[in-house]
Amino acid sequence: MVDLMTIGQIALNGLLLGGIYALISIGLTIIFGVIRVINFAHGEFLMLSMYASFWLFQILGIDPYLSILIIIPIFFIAGWLTQRAFIQPILKGPALMQIFITVGISLAMMNGALFLWKADYRSVTPSYAAITFKMGNFLIGLPRLVAFLSSIVIVLILYLFLKKTHLGRAIRAVAQDREAALLMGINMRRIYLIAFGIGTACVGVAGPLLLPIYPVFPTVGTYFVLIAFVVVVLGGMGNMTGAFIGGLIIGLIEAFSGFFITPQLQSLVYFVIFILLLLLKPSGLMGVVGAEEIGMK
Amino acid sequence: MISDLTQRISHLKYLKFYLISTLFGLLALLPLLIRGPFYSHILVMIFLHAAAAASWNLIGGYAGQLSLGHAAFYGIGAYTSTLLFVQWGISPWLGMLAGGGVAALVAGLVSFPCFKLRGPFFTLATIAFGEVVRILAIYFRELTRGAIGITIPFRPGIENLMFHGKMAYCYFALVTMMTVFFVSFLIERSRFGYYLVALRGDEDAAQALGVNTTMCKLMAMMLSAFFTAICGTFAAQYVLFIEPISEFSIDRSILFALISIIGGIGTAAGPIIGSFILTPLQEFLRAWLGGQYQGLHIFIYGCILIAVVMLLPEGVIIWMRAIGRRIVPPIRSRG
Repeated sequence: MVDLMTIGQIALNGLLLGGIYALISIGLTIIFGVIRVINFAHGEFLMLSMYASFWLFQILGIDPYLSILIIIPIFFIAGWLTQRAFIQPILKGPALMQIFITVGISLAMMNGALFLWKADYRSVTPSYAAITFKMGNFLIGLPRLVAFLSSIVIVLILYLFLKKTHLGRAIRAVAQDREAALLMGINMRRIYLIAFGIGTACVGVAGPLLLPIYPVFPTVGTYFVLIAFVVVVLGGMGNMTGAFIGGLIIGLIEAFSGFFITPQLQSLVYFVIFILLLLLKPSGLMGVVGAEEIGMK
Repeated sequence: MISDLTQRISHLKYLKFYLISTLFGLLALLPLLIRGPFYSHILVMIFLHAAAAASWNLIGGYAGQLSLGHAAFYGIGAYTSTLLFVQWGISPWLGMLAGGGVAALVAGLVSFPCFKLRGPFFTLATIAFGEVVRILAIYFRELTRGAIGITIPFRPGIENLMFHGKMAYCYFALVTMMTVFFVSFLIERSRFGYYLVALRGDEDAAQALGVNTTMCKLMAMMLSAFFTAICGTFAAQYVLFIEPISEFSIDRSILFALISIIGGIGTAAGPIIGSFILTPLQEFLRAWLGGQYQGLHIFIYGCILIAVVMLLPEGVIIWMRAIGRRIVPPIRSRG
């Protein structure tokens, strides 16, 4: 018999993990919302940020949480350059090619990592990784709590940035109506570059936060990006608030399905939810109606 | 004047037919010329990948519905015929048709609701579909023997679609490839083919002009799944071992698409050209680099994919066409 305590503990674990999912998904949804490109390489950027943090810890002894400060600017620039070098030149081309370019980048990054660092699972164990503390009757692992709280802080910062600053407003304007934004004198190319940079920087934060919880290996991104796709579709493509809530929901679903169903079928649950969502409500819980057709044009 | 022009056109039409026949005749000689099991193996893989990529091309190229879940159909073909053979001793020839039928049925049932999704959303749905099939294949251990895989007992004979040596496999793969090529070739010139190209260009406009786009996509998808499954059966008979993780892997789905894109997406000859470029590259890289540089050959794929999309989005076939135009100059309209 499952008691209320266990349910509570599972829900808590799910929510904490959901925070990270939310952060990864928000990066994906910003890129989609602004540039209208589905970035299949998003998970590989996450993988690279985990490796970056791992090597910074291993070689220079920099704490994963501290490495975030180094990784954010690098990943912002990496995202900027990816957009500039690969996506920008083919934005006017057929949608098919935009999908393939990010698939190609994803393949190259994943297998480049496999070539350089082999398929080994690597993890860091800083002294605080094993710390758990009791909150009432519940147990909370410190890394999970840090990851959750940091994700929320980042999401809030991004939210304020998009709502309050001039640049943030320009980014939202492009996401809402490209033509009108262009008429208002917004430099679209620059906004695209910044949006891709921000989206990539999001996984730049998520990687080091994940590292004390989850080992890094070349295909780790695939696992997380599939979850991020589910979250983004759940929340509505391009919708930040939707991605945040969607992340928490998927975290909860994962925790409960892992408990009640055999772990082998756990990922089946997302995919079935994913397909059902795409079919029944492709605009997502909070998305704009018709967003599922925009990707085509 | 006009009769002169039509004569030239019909002459050109036949010329193309002769040209294609000659090329296939030359391809049919290739297995005889090639020596050594390694090179024969590469040839089998070229024909097989070309056939699978050409099957993908029916829905992904002509209809522009980018599926990245085709490994599911390939795997369904391999598993259906293998299970029928191993469990009940049913000939793989029948198993092949059964696998094609099952794949076409699954494709129809799954893709019918998915066709209301467009562009990348359709692609996402096909990826999810592929993953679901893979997870189920691993999970239902009683039926599929799970991750351990199934070894097919080697009982050579035409009735079992198993042969000593690689020559027979070469010809079988060649025939499969030619079949899919001619199906594509015929579709390209049919009303159905024009419908597909129209809906790829602008689905709403095609619909407004009275094209039942969902029906067209459905038919293209089912045909595509049918032929992909046949390739899966053939591959299982050739390798004599199947296991779910590689049969259903998304890398395989990407490979089929990649071959079509390199050759020329939405053309009958494109997948064949693409396979002649990519498959030998893959096999050589695998043989030379092998296990010691894991990942390097797929890394190279990724780079090729990026380069082709950016520099040559229409595929290598446009070079071929340019050469063709030199040999046979196109008719200029006079007046």
